[in-house]
Amino acid sequence: MSVKDSEIKGTGGEATAPPSTRRDLVFGMAGSGGDGIISVGDSLLQAAAAEGYHGVMTKSFGSQIRGGESSCRVRISTEPILNPGGNLDVAVALNWEDFLKFGAELPVSGTTVVIYEAATNIPEDQIPLVGVLPRQVIAVPITELAKANAGTERAKNTVVLGLIAGWFGIGAVAVMKGLRKKLAKKGEELVEANQRAFDAGLTFAQQNPLKISMNLVASETKGAVKLITDGNDMCAAAAIFAGCQFFGGYPITPSTEIMQFFTNHVWGYGGAVLQAEDEIAGIGAAIGASFAGKKAMTATSGPGLSLKTEMMGLATIAELPLVIVNVQRGGPSTGLPTKNEQSDLFAAVFSAHGDVIRPVLAPTSVADTFRITVEAFNIAEYYQTPVIVLSDQEISQRKETLDPIDTSQFEILDRLRPSAVDLQDYKRFKDTENHISPISQPGMPGGTYLASGIEHVESGAPTNSGTVHARMNEKRTQKLDPLKERRDLFEITGDPEAPLALVAWGSVAGVCREALALAQAEGLHVKLLVPYLLYPVAEGIYRDFFASAQKGLVIEQSHLAQFHKLLRMHLDLPKGVRSMARSGANPFLPSEIVVALHRLLSELQRSHEGNLQPQE
Amino acid sequence: MSPAGTFDFQIKDYKSALKPIWCPGCGDYSVVQGIYRALTAIGRPPHEIAFVSGIGCSSRIPGYTTTYGFNTLHGRALPIAQGIKLANPDLLVLAAGGDGDGFSIGGGHIAHLIRRNMDITYIVMDNQVYGLTKGQLSPTSQKGRLTVTSRHGSLEEPMNPLLCVLAYGAGFVAQAAPTDLAGMAAIIEEAIRYPGFAFVNIQSPCVTYGDEAQQFKGLKAISENLVDLGHDPADRLAAMDLAQHYGSKLHLGVFYRNPEPPPTYGDLVQARQELLAKDALPRERILDLFLKQ
Repeated sequence: MSVKDSEIKGTGGEATAPPSTRRDLVFGMAGSGGDGIISVGDSLLQAAAAEGYHGVMTKSFGSQIRGGESSCRVRISTEPILNPGGNLDVAVALNWEDFLKFGAELPVSGTTVVIYEAATNIPEDQIPLVGVLPRQVIAVPITELAKANAGTERAKNTVVLGLIAGWFGIGAVAVMKGLRKKLAKKGEELVEANQRAFDAGLTFAQQNPLKISMNLVASETKGAVKLITDGNDMCAAAAIFAGCQFFGGYPITPSTEIMQFFTNHVWGYGGAVLQAEDEIAGIGAAIGASFAGKKAMTATSGPGLSLKTEMMGLATIAELPLVIVNVQRGGPSTGLPTKNEQSDLFAAVFSAHGDVIRPVLAPTSVADTFRITVEAFNIAEYYQTPVIVLSDQEISQRKETLDPIDTSQFEILDRLRPSAVDLQDYKRFKDTENHISPISQPGMPGGTYLASGIEHVESGAPTNSGTVHARMNEKRTQKLDPLKERRDLFEITGDPEAPLALVAWGSVAGVCREALALAQAEGLHVKLLVPYLLYPVAEGIYRDFFASAQKGLVIEQSHLAQFHKLLRMHLDLPKGVRSMARSGANPFLPSEIVVALHRLLSELQRSHEGNLQPQE
Repeated sequence: MSPAGTFDFQIKDYKSALKPIWCPGCGDYSVVQGIYRALTAIGRPPHEIAFVSGIGCSSRIPGYTTTYGFNTLHGRALPIAQGIKLANPDLLVLAAGGDGDGFSIGGGHIAHLIRRNMDITYIVMDNQVYGLTKGQLSPTSQKGRLTVTSRHGSLEEPMNPLLCVLAYGAGFVAQAAPTDLAGMAAIIEEAIRYPGFAFVNIQSPCVTYGDEAQQFKGLKAISENLVDLGHDPADRLAAMDLAQHYGSKLHLGVFYRNPEPPPTYGDLVQARQELLAKDALPRERILDLFLKQ
């Protein structure tokens, strides 16, 4: 957990400035596609991990295939990090046109140090940031330093890394160690050119110290083993860990990296991957593989989820285990393909014809994407149902440093196979006490049956009977009831008796965790509920949580406030609990949530005063 | 081939107790008979066979066999069949459906299955009409055809399934009809035995909504046996030439059989799995891929 220090003491500038107490820094950088801004972020994150810091890196692009604007945010801290951070501490603009395109994604405030390319010929007091006076603005001849020292302006990104090492104390050794490894195959000359570019940036920073030192304090965990990955790779790795042996899919941003990971690795586990001709065939092949007895998955994003809808219904009625990952982006239709939003919730929960309950799980970080994906396979296999993992662009494409995960802690469940007794008079859809029927698979003697999308009797034979249909609907929905008791799929933090309550899911949960810590540090009594299981809605768990709440916020990145509406469909929220919702690509800041909580508290106090007055 | 070897099975071993919903006289009764005969000749036990279909009259067919069956979605038999075959290459995988299922709503899938050359046999019961929904135009209906959705005559040319699959590069393409049950059974058997994707178009009359010309009598009148014509099934161009007569003539037999069948997708997958298995981290250590020093 990481809380930004409120104010840095010191007069700054002079060589005798007191040492920095910075434990947390948020960098935001933007440039054109060819500027290598993303590789700056990658190098910085790796160097941070090598030096024992925690780090999170998010990327954001224009939708151009090559070139266009690209940006990244890197947050580095001595403490575990909950979200990519709010306002930037350090802004790096290789040109202003590209930087400004990211708007609220790269927010500059009065405490930001702004570093920009001097070749833009914009004076330091005339940078095009409206209504904000940054702490310090520094024009650096980045291109010139690159050309002079490395002989090519392509070394601009390495100059930036040198500047960061010089001003903020991150990666003075580790960055070049990483680059040497990365560039080793390309020859010593290139390595040396990069070393000179790096040194030039470092020297520039040392010769032009910041007015107020912002050096990150050294991490106490230097040398600790760390993992670095993003949500998509983590999801795919978790799936293989859970025993998934088949992936069928179709490329779609921002989920494609899941299929790419499978094409690299799944063969070695006796599995297969099919890049299908369309989204429907992708999920269809996965359903076929599941019918044939293999754990199977597909992954997509909004438009693909729409196309897969009919197949998901088939998996429900045929009671076949299947994991569908939907990485949300801005919608509807093509929408904002490269930006974050939480607006596929209704599609995940409700997109079906007929009466369907389909479990929906949501990770909140790269780290918990592992657990949630494994859980999705367990639920799919145990209950013989399709399960949706509702990730989002931010989680899927952000990189995190992670502590190693002890995989032996995770139980892996398999579907219930028929016993010899079951196979004597095998009924594939036999109703049982928990409504779960033993499932056979082609190749198994005695287990033959007809799987179908048509309603069927217990043997699998088609039927038109209303009585059977009612009973089968009951079987298929009631088997999932125990999920509503899964308290381990909900995280509740803060003061249990607090009058103020926050609810948030997916990537927004991380912002709220940080807001909770900030609010508590300011003396507010507040608590936070983060659901990992979104559907079926566990009414009882929410009711218990809201029991003490007089005011609260359901926070989400959805214009229609889909999650708030979903909750209201299932339970009566306390009157003072309202929605805080907005469209995607407009990130929430922890600080604005704290402000909102203060406002709720003062409303609460006013209403108490109002209540008290008549009594007196 | 069959890991369990072959056994002495009889038709009754493949025939289920379900009573077909088809109209009396429907051509599909003969098709299911042809499939029983072909499976009996091949001798794989029913539990080693996965029979996948889409939606439509003919797609009810897996239920009338004792194999593992999957009556899927309209047009989607082939993607699901491919998933089954990839998950368990030892299975004998059959797919079946109608002309609307395979060439209209699901028309995008067959080209890609052919590119992949998975060892799957696909039987299309082509009757030039939508029967289950009671008599609408199908993708193989003749231009000018009067139906409930073409009250003034169809404005569209029919598509030519045979020419399409030949052009897509299928390794085995044949046509059969219930007018010659023994011939149909032999063709289905040969298709199943072909090591790779095999396509069999069966002209199966719809006795309720079909055109007069496409009933048994009409089909017999335009039938020609490819063997009698002296056609060499190794000659793909000659096959395409003959296939152009789809709709006016009913050529029965094997249009094309690749004389040198290439490796199937399954063969290639198996080779890749074996190659990469030795370098794969144990599953419980897969996160080591993300380790940073």
